[in-house]
Amino acid sequence: MSPVGQCLAAFLFGSVAGLLVQRSRFCNTAALRDAMLFRTYRNTKALLVCMMILTLGFTAFITVGEGHTMHFDVGINQVLGLFLFGIGMVLAGACTVSTWVKAGEGNVGAIWALLFTFIGMFLFSLVWSFDYWPPAPSSMDHLPHLEALQFGYANAATLQAKTGIPAIVFGLVQFGLLFAIYRAILRKEERMAQAREQTAAPAPVTAPSTAQAEPAMARDVDATPERAG
Amino acid sequence: MELFKKTLDPIVALSIIAVLDIFMFLVVGAWTVGGGETMMTGLIAKFFLGDQLSRIPFWDIVFKPDASYWKIYISLGMLFGAIVGAVLSKEFYWRVPRHLSEWVMITVGGLLMGIGIRLAFVCNVSTFFGLTPEMNLGGYLSISGIIAGAWVGSLIYKRVLEG
Repeated sequence: MSPVGQCLAAFLFGSVAGLLVQRSRFCNTAALRDAMLFRTYRNTKALLVCMMILTLGFTAFITVGEGHTMHFDVGINQVLGLFLFGIGMVLAGACTVSTWVKAGEGNVGAIWALLFTFIGMFLFSLVWSFDYWPPAPSSMDHLPHLEALQFGYANAATLQAKTGIPAIVFGLVQFGLLFAIYRAILRKEERMAQAREQTAAPAPVTAPSTAQAEPAMARDVDATPERAG
Repeated sequence: MELFKKTLDPIVALSIIAVLDIFMFLVVGAWTVGGGETMMTGLIAKFFLGDQLSRIPFWDIVFKPDASYWKIYISLGMLFGAIVGAVLSKEFYWRVPRHLSEWVMITVGGLLMGIGIRLAFVCNVSTFFGLTPEMNLGGYLSISGIIAGAWVGSLIYKRVLEG
C-alpha cells in the first residue's frame, strides 16, 4: 500500500475509533483502575471482549501467513516502561486513546497531558543510545540476550514455525483464558448484585457512579454540559 | 440519530473497533498510538530545533521525523472522530481542571506516560490491541508492567483523593 493509502486508512480507522470511544466513554485506564479501586468492570469487560475477537482474528490470519505483525525484540524494558506508563495513566486519568478523545471533547487537562507526554518522550530520547540499555538495539537480533535484559522475538507466527502447530490453536487457548477471566467477572458481578439485594443498601460504596470514579481530569467529561457554563 | 443521543455500550463499540483493527492488521498494521505520538514529538522538535535535532541519535536512527508516517494519522483521526462525536451529541465544551493538585497529577502522569512509552517502545494500545492478540512475548511483559503500574498509581490516586 502506498504511504498516502496507509495514512488515509489510518485516519479513517482513527476517526471511527475516536467516535466510538467518545460515544461509549470507553477508557483503558478505567478498565484497570476501576477494577482495582472500585470493583466495577464496565470497561474491563469491553477490553476483554475486544481482545478475544482480536486474538482469534490475528492468529487466524497469522496461521495463513497474512497480516502485519509488530516486529521488534522485547525485554525487561517493556515491563518497566509500562509500569511507569501505568502509574502515569492513572495519575493523568487518561491513556493514549482517551487523551486524544478527551482533547476532542474540549478537555484542557487532556491537552495538557498530551503536551507532557510529548515532553516525556523528548526527554527520554535524550538518554537513548544504540549501545547500552534501555533498550540496546545492538543486542536485538531476534535471539535472547539475557545479559542485555533482552528476550528476543516471539509471537504466534514463531510459535507456529517452531512447533508446526497452527497459530490459531494457540489463539484458541488465549481466547479461552480471556473468556475465563470475562466469565469470572460476570459471576463476581452477579454475586455483588445478590449481596446488594440481600442487604438492601441504598447505594453501594464499592460501585460509585462514573462521575465519582473518574479522576481529576476525566471527572468533568461526565458532567452535564450545563455545568460548563 | 440514536448514536448521538445516548451512551453506546462499550462492548459494542470495542467489538466494532476490533473488527476494524483486524482490517488494519491486514493492510498496514494493528492499532497503535505511541509510535505516532513519538513521530509528532520529533516533528515538533524539528520545528523548533531544525537540523540540530539530528545530533540526537534517537531522532537520527530510530525516529527520523517524517510527516508521512501512517501512525500519526490514527491519533489525528481519533481527535477528529471525538470532536465529531462530541459536537453532534452536544457534549463539546471546554473543561479546565480546577485544582492545583489536578494539574500536578496530570503533568506528572503525562511525563511518566511519555517516558514509559519510549522506554518500552510500546504504548497501552499496542499492548492490549496489537501485541497481546498477536501473542507477542512483549504483550505479556507489557501487561504485567501496566497492571503493576496501574495498581501503584491507584494507591497514589486514592491517597490524593482522600486528601
